[in-house]
Amino acid sequence: MSAIPIRSSSSVRCIVNGRPVALEVRPEALLLDVLRDRLQLKGARRSCDMQVCGACTVLVDGAPVSACTYLAVEVDGREVTTVEGLADGDRLHPLQEAFIDHGAVQCGFCTAGMLLTAKALLAEDPSPTPERVAEYLRGSLCRCTGYRKILDAILACATPKAAAR
Amino acid sequence: MTGRPGGFRIVGQSVRRTDALEKVTGRARYLSDMELPGMAHARLLRSPYAHARLLHVDVRAAREVPGVHAVLAASDLTFCDPFYGPALRDRPLLASEVVRYEGEPVVAVAAVDEATAAEALDLVEVEYEELPAVTTLEEALAPGAPRVHTAEPLAGHFSDLSSLRAKPGTNICHQFDYTRGDVATALAGAHLVLEETYRFPRIQHYSMEPHGALAQWDDEGGLTVWAATQNPFSVRSELAKMFALNASRIRIAVPLLGGGFGGKTYAKLEPLAAALARVARRPVRLLASVEDAFRTVRRCSARVRLTLAFHRDGRIAALACEADFDIGAYADIAPRVIQKATYTTTGPYRVGHVKLHSNAVYTNTTPGGAFRGFGVPQLVWGVESMMDVAADRLGRDPVDLRRQNLLAHGEEFAPGDTPVDGKLEESLGRLAEAIQWSAAAAPGRAKGIAAMMKASVAPSVSEAIVRLHADGSANVLVSTVEMGQGARTVMAQIAAEVLALPLDRVRVVPPDTSITPYDQTSSSSRSTTMVGRAVQEAAQDVVDQLRKIAADMLGEPAARLTVLDGAVVSGAQRLAYPDLLDHHFGMRGGELIGRGVVAPGRTKTALGGSTPFWEVAMGGAEITLDEETGAIAIESYASVSDVGRCINPQQCAAQDEGAVMQGLGHTLFEEMVYEGGQLLNADLAGYRVPRAGDVPPRLETLFVENGDGAGPFGAKGVGEGGLIPVSPAVGNALARLTGVRMRELPMTPERVWRALRARTRPTTNP
Amino acid sequence: MLRPFALHRPATVAEASEILAQQGRDAALYAGGTELLLILKEGLLRVKSLVDIKRLPGLAGIRADNGHLLIGAAATHRAVEHAPEVHARCPLIARVARHVANVRVRSVGTVGGNLAFADPHSDLATAFLLFDATVRLAAQAGERELALGDFVVGPYETSRRDEEILTSVRLTPWPAGTVGAYVKYGLHERPTLGVAVALTVAGGAVRGARIAVGCVGPRPQRLAGAEARLGGWSLADVERRAGEVGAEAAAAVDAVDDLHGSAEYKRDMTRVFVRRALLVAAARSAGRESHERHPHTVVV
Repeated sequence: MSAIPIRSSSSVRCIVNGRPVALEVRPEALLLDVLRDRLQLKGARRSCDMQVCGACTVLVDGAPVSACTYLAVEVDGREVTTVEGLADGDRLHPLQEAFIDHGAVQCGFCTAGMLLTAKALLAEDPSPTPERVAEYLRGSLCRCTGYRKILDAILACATPKAAAR
Repeated sequence: MTGRPGGFRIVGQSVRRTDALEKVTGRARYLSDMELPGMAHARLLRSPYAHARLLHVDVRAAREVPGVHAVLAASDLTFCDPFYGPALRDRPLLASEVVRYEGEPVVAVAAVDEATAAEALDLVEVEYEELPAVTTLEEALAPGAPRVHTAEPLAGHFSDLSSLRAKPGTNICHQFDYTRGDVATALAGAHLVLEETYRFPRIQHYSMEPHGALAQWDDEGGLTVWAATQNPFSVRSELAKMFALNASRIRIAVPLLGGGFGGKTYAKLEPLAAALARVARRPVRLLASVEDAFRTVRRCSARVRLTLAFHRDGRIAALACEADFDIGAYADIAPRVIQKATYTTTGPYRVGHVKLHSNAVYTNTTPGGAFRGFGVPQLVWGVESMMDVAADRLGRDPVDLRRQNLLAHGEEFAPGDTPVDGKLEESLGRLAEAIQWSAAAAPGRAKGIAAMMKASVAPSVSEAIVRLHADGSANVLVSTVEMGQGARTVMAQIAAEVLALPLDRVRVVPPDTSITPYDQTSSSSRSTTMVGRAVQEAAQDVVDQLRKIAADMLGEPAARLTVLDGAVVSGAQRLAYPDLLDHHFGMRGGELIGRGVVAPGRTKTALGGSTPFWEVAMGGAEITLDEETGAIAIESYASVSDVGRCINPQQCAAQDEGAVMQGLGHTLFEEMVYEGGQLLNADLAGYRVPRAGDVPPRLETLFVENGDGAGPFGAKGVGEGGLIPVSPAVGNALARLTGVRMRELPMTPERVWRALRARTRPTTNP
Repeated sequence: MLRPFALHRPATVAEASEILAQQGRDAALYAGGTELLLILKEGLLRVKSLVDIKRLPGLAGIRADNGHLLIGAAATHRAVEHAPEVHARCPLIARVARHVANVRVRSVGTVGGNLAFADPHSDLATAFLLFDATVRLAAQAGERELALGDFVVGPYETSRRDEEILTSVRLTPWPAGTVGAYVKYGLHERPTLGVAVALTVAGGAVRGARIAVGCVGPRPQRLAGAEARLGGWSLADVERRAGEVGAEAAAAVDAVDDLHGSAEYKRDMTRVFVRRALLVAAARSAGRESHERHPHTVVV
């Protein structure tokens, strides 16, 4: 049995965007705040604060989670990917390119979450149908674009069905 | 390089947004990303009651919490004017003596971190005495209804509202009246007179970034506020008044906004952040949560009684409107919303006899203010539904009936007011074609259309400065706020086009009232037209200076010189901008500064100003219905906007797609639900906004481009219009499909289900 | 923002139970946190300790158990969606899990948390009722097993004692020849209604029927009267007369007014969706899959 007493910290070692990170965090620290305030990774954003909107989406061991409702201590020993880790140096990820080309970016507040959610989807299903993309984005809200261009951008990054087979 | 008609290089091209890269990489910075050394974090204690007397507010224990830098209740606000509001100064920074809606701020705390602020708020003791509340129009307008406000508040900073017409002894805080012709006589002689009442719900903007402000006082008593606002200059005048400062001592700087939709117009949290920072003697950041945003501002709900009369031949004989807008507990900008929207109730149609009256009615709910469309959707919902009712009664085709009544190009909207600047028939024709109006709908499907024409804000002022530097690159200084609409990209395109520079040589400076020149507001679909024209003028001013310098160097008249690829050219001669500046200044340095001002002033029209352009949009929906559940599915939607000219076609489409989807929200789902004065769904689990799965299988946006807009290169505004026809287009389709006419939004499945059952059940009063 | 708390990571169920017994309402069980952290953030619940049970040995496991399917309380929705044992024994549950909330909640949220939170607008409990689910509760003093219907007693209310830990849920796979369907409907984040049905067909006739309805009332319920009506029907009967069963279900269901709709509407939707779910199941029983789609409806 182990315990982190109230108002005490424990150490968390994880990989963030490919780099090892060691931090002392309190049990109640939310992953979103640790990423934004301690690691200065501001790409994940707080909006609904209740796992409905997806603005705070990050990947933990490849799975999308709502960083606003996720304890930072949970990433100990795990790998975290934020939008800042999508590009390879100056080379944008194809999804980032597609979002720009398709005009899928407006105010930008949802963009990081959309990109990471799309990345997780394509990792799971490289050739999703349009219906599957829309369904996967159920928890990813955008108030500016009306989604059409976001859906188009993601589908443009899908592997064509024939190639996937 | 001349890709499009008109010979433009950059205008008319779907260039990449200038902010796209920072947004896809997570480097874009919003207010919540900003931190200052020593910054304190603020939290608010909000009223749990819709209406109550504040008997006792005890903050002593909160002040004792280590790490707390400021605790404010109304009684502490002795160092500033504690009231604010753009139309009426009726809104207290913190509730004083009375709370008027559930969620009204009562106590504010700034502390070393949010947890400490929360801990302090836990120790605040407030004693309330509940008072009877009014949360609906019916309750608020009932004889002897409890009053939301009893004192007479002071006017805000709009001169046209200096004669606010409250109705003494009632909850009506402002009335608007407009008459032309003789409605009574026209009604008496009409062939068909329709009288119906339509309702529009309370809607939340839900910009994904909630409101926020970061305030800092300097040692000389000057104030800087970084604010998520759509109009920094209005915030500045509000703060100047509250803190008795010269405008020159206040600096409002605006980072990128995570959406606005009107919810970030006029001061919201900025005054409170400034007050906290003053007491805390350090920077204070106040970030609203989404739940807070639901308690900050919303769209005004409305009940609209319309009388629409027709001649036998289909011409509209008269229109009368009695509209009650529920503006919530404080006026915000609602008095302007109601009068501006009501004035254009007739929309794109020629109506000789008009009688309009609207009331802004206080209720004990979240204050209502500006929201994409500025009151127009509330009215168009009724008028455009009734156009279809009329077509049905007159045995006319709905497209045809509308076409017959459309204003002509160049025809005055009202005597002395701005003539119609687009070809409305062309929009209607394009729409009919896009949704294949003349083809019969497939079984189980039906189509509906709607049209709208909206004024932009007037009078209004936009100024621009363009600085051409010695290396031939340029800065554009404007105070247009980038909130997703793509304004910075468009301004850069306009400047680059005129300056004959590549886009990457032009940078638009973010709004900062101490640096960038005056602009009234980034709203009302006005920026491309107003600011864009100012940018065009300012860039042209620089070009004129360049040509004058070149004329001097070449000994040729300036009029014969043109600019091309960063140089002034005359025949085979080419003088690059850096060389011109070098010649002019006698050194590698200096800069040319161009200025542009667009300021259509006051006019004698009912609103005191005439719109600089008309925003025209039409929409057509094809729907199916799950008759058993009442759920409507939009199978296809086409939106047509007359934009004069697309500066950036992709961004125009993006604006209209977004507008249509936002319109679908209040058409089908969205409504802030109150019960006993309590807001039941102040979060995204209970308040349903459109999702990716709600996008119609076919969603088309079309643009009419005749180059006849009042903006640069014949462009004009876009952005609000596409939202407005959605509700009546869907309602009209539903009526054609089922015979059921919905008169209340949203058309939730349950509401439609009820209407379908009422249809099939025999009633004594059909 | 969360207020400070201690985080306990007991090594055994007994240890966990001991903390709960000591701290009573000052401690809360924590696994995925998708429900708990929300109410903590909102201040609806205040505790001094969280007791993290998702690392307890075996608690996240999914396995066959003596002909039953045993799902550990700390198994995530995503794990249920992908587990071969679930696909083999209770495939409907895998499909239901795939549509719970959204992908992020499914990554983190657990089966036990979902049941123990007893949000009436939940999918799992309704679907589990079709598999005669029982839950296992453990404490220092020992274990007990309860039928799911006795565990969930009302909205956000279960019969779990303060010191008890929900460790697993046990499902009884359906007899051969049984096919099921789960249909959910709603506008909001959480469903307005969820209907689970299963038909056991042998020799062309319905030998057993199961119908559960959730979200419309305080807790999900099996509708024995509606189930009984189907006995002996042929698939053709089901297709023709499913509406009668829907009507019977509508009459029996306990519906309440809330933000999702009036009781009257939900009652009628119960009628509609029980019929629709039965038609889906009957078609599946006949080897057909209906591709009919309705707005705001998910068919699994």
